Amino acid sequence: MNAFANRRWLAVLMLIAAIVGLLTVWREFDVFIPRMPYLTGWVLLLLMLFLTLYNGRKKLPFLPAIRSETWLQVHIYVGLFTAALFAVHLGMRMPTGWFECTLAWLYVLVMLSGIGGLFISRIFPKRLTTRGGEVLFESIPAVRRALAEQAESLALKALPAAKSATITEFYVAHLQHWFAAPRNTLAHLFEISSPLNKLLHRIGELDRFLNDEERKLMFGEEVEAGEEPKQHIPGIADLVRQKDALDYHYSLQLTLKLWLFVHIPLTYSLLVFSLVHVVLVFAFMGGTS
Amino acid sequence: MSEPLQPPGFDADQYARPNQNWVCGYACEGRACKLGPGPGGECRATAECKPVLDLKPGETKGRWRCTRSKNQGGACELGPGPDGTCCRPLPRCSPVRSLRVRRGRLTLAVTALTVGALLVLLYGPWRLTFINPGPVSSHHTGKAFAELLREQSKGAPKSAALAASAFGADQGCAVCHTEALAGPAGWLKAAFTVKPGPFEVNKLAAVSRAEMTSIDRACLKCHKDHTFHQPNVVRDHSCSSCHREHLTSGHMRKPEDAQCLSCHGDGATMQASAAKGREIAAKRPSEFEYRSHLGPHVFGVPRPTNGYTKVFASFAGDHPEFQVHADKLSDTNPLRFNHALHFSSTVPPINGRKLDCASCHEPDASGAYYRRVNFERHCRKCHSLQFDAGNPQLQLPHGNETFVRSFLRSLPAHYAELARREHKLSRAEEIARFVARSMSGLTERFESGEGLERRVFMSTERWAPVASVGGSPTLGAAPFAGCAWCHKVTESPGTVPPQFEVARPSMPERWMPRGSFNHAKHQHLDCAKCHDVARSSVTADVNLPRKALCAECHSPKGGVVHSCSTCHSFHTTHRR
Repeated sequence: MNAFANRRWLAVLMLIAAIVGLLTVWREFDVFIPRMPYLTGWVLLLLMLFLTLYNGRKKLPFLPAIRSETWLQVHIYVGLFTAALFAVHLGMRMPTGWFECTLAWLYVLVMLSGIGGLFISRIFPKRLTTRGGEVLFESIPAVRRALAEQAESLALKALPAAKSATITEFYVAHLQHWFAAPRNTLAHLFEISSPLNKLLHRIGELDRFLNDEERKLMFGEEVEAGEEPKQHIPGIADLVRQKDALDYHYSLQLTLKLWLFVHIPLTYSLLVFSLVHVVLVFAFMGGTS
Repeated sequence: MSEPLQPPGFDADQYARPNQNWVCGYACEGRACKLGPGPGGECRATAECKPVLDLKPGETKGRWRCTRSKNQGGACELGPGPDGTCCRPLPRCSPVRSLRVRRGRLTLAVTALTVGALLVLLYGPWRLTFINPGPVSSHHTGKAFAELLREQSKGAPKSAALAASAFGADQGCAVCHTEALAGPAGWLKAAFTVKPGPFEVNKLAAVSRAEMTSIDRACLKCHKDHTFHQPNVVRDHSCSSCHREHLTSGHMRKPEDAQCLSCHGDGATMQASAAKGREIAAKRPSEFEYRSHLGPHVFGVPRPTNGYTKVFASFAGDHPEFQVHADKLSDTNPLRFNHALHFSSTVPPINGRKLDCASCHEPDASGAYYRRVNFERHCRKCHSLQFDAGNPQLQLPHGNETFVRSFLRSLPAHYAELARREHKLSRAEEIARFVARSMSGLTERFESGEGLERRVFMSTERWAPVASVGGSPTLGAAPFAGCAWCHKVTESPGTVPPQFEVARPSMPERWMPRGSFNHAKHQHLDCAKCHDVARSSVTADVNLPRKALCAECHSPKGGVVHSCSTCHSFHTTHRR
């Protein structure tokens, strides 16, 4: 096992031990400490504040604090621990009442979005690697534009070279729009390749209407390069595949960024609700004096 | 696709800066300008270069030179215009915020929305509904609560009173939560002035179950004297430590077993309780005798020396065996009764129906318990107390030996009455003849009145003439066997004529007074499942089920409720 796997096992074991410890303490002392929910509530709130600090830590990269990677690991496992603490805080019952339900739902949404984010940040990079190629998210529009320009020039080249408008018309009808922006974002998320296959099928059907010159422009050509192996000059079909790969990157990388649009705003909303919750429970607690 | 998907001519030195707040408006089209927006989001696009004027020595006019960087292709072919303007102006854009900034603004917006919504809801007329953590039990709603709330609303701020009325006065938060009507500002103040306060974590942890909060004290406004438990309790509990509100709109949930086990599952507490119990029993034993409300017919169970202080964890597990079985207690009822005999075939059917439990045992109005067996209703059908086979209609009274004695000593009058009532004789001579004939018959059999009296009280003969009921034989288990057939009868020594005393039967209505039971909820079960009376031949048998039999159903395995509160109640409100 590599170091990451070792570390993960260690962290998981520690998490399980912490949860078992928490449940044991709760089971043993809940009866004797009538204010147990207040204590678990404070711990929960402090842990939530600690987890929120990670967002601040990312904004201050110059701080000589712990490495962001370590912060993330702690964030993940402490976050998972709060789920058990949350259940203990609720006394293993479903919350009732408008305020408490809203608060609980906020917590659940933050937790689920976090787990979802963790899941995609573990899965998507692997999927991106298996699909091949690397591209910065910010560079994707530039790459897409370059591909579009290349495809357009090939389509226009067909007019004087092949003296036929078949490719050009096909480009205008089916490809120009496709190259102009990211396409099939949802399909890429779920690894659905039918939109690409459909487009490639159309290009394949066009083959019988193409002459040799057009065929070279559409499907590329192999050229001799001296003693070197044959070189493939890309055609429009190759550019279509590249654009689809680029859209795949765009889709997955965009999702990797967008899940935080749910997780972070709801976190702050949860914190606000939690603070009001603290005020309310102490106001309605009934003092002992 | 294995090659990097970078733009053609990508320069690694020209790395992206995604942390910048603004992005060129043309970036999404893949043609962002190199300059990028300013820090305030303004477009800075002018031209691809800013030409400089080269002036050679001696020249006055000079020549404009293109300064476009190598990254952008170097100096352009056309070069600057004669007035020094770049020939390649950049199109201006409307810069857009970066994803990161948009996320931050969304976060701010959501947070502001949350705060705003909370302010509206907390200051609005529905605030108590909004913050109510759950439905209040049906016991704590209704007219009585509305009245209490109205009383408490007097003098409260107008807005608070309005909120209370909008909330629905019948729910009445303020009855228990004294700060409920104070509004958000009051709640904030209360939260930081309450004892223990929010930041007094050590005190919060140290609060014991016995400490009465203002909510508990509010309970006592209506539930007076509900603090009592056993006299030997060493750790009291506040109301709210066991009774949890805001869980259901129906009946308030019963306390959980954990509450009971906090003492009954704790060895030290039970030891202390046993010691206290011994002390009380030695000094003031009457303190434990407070179950007079159950009436006189309660099976007497002596209190164990250590009281009921065995440590246990669950009913199905180590809950003590019922004391009646654990101490091998027996029924002290002096009445002689044989359950097995009554179920045997020697007892003929009555009106075609074989004797069963319901023939003698009748539930009370609630169905929870059974009424005591009554001779007149349940026994006389068979045990008719007739003593003269020739006049079976003439029956002895039951219930008091003095009445029996008086009856026997005034038999001529009773025979005369019988002659009038049953034989429809009206003439004095006929009646006198009937009386004389009957009395002489008795004299023949018993020789004297004293003999008859002794026979009636003391005989234990089993077979005697009985009234035919539903065609049953006329010889059977007859009461004429004598009172002593069923009762313990003693002859008072030295009395002339002899005096007989019949010991009073004592049939308990409640066999286990420390627990409650509801027969109505067990109607689906055959009586014999719990009360194995078919093999019980003596009165001393206590035919109650053992704990293990109850636990067959009342256990996690059996699936029927098995909490402490199913049978027991913490409170002993009748103890003063």
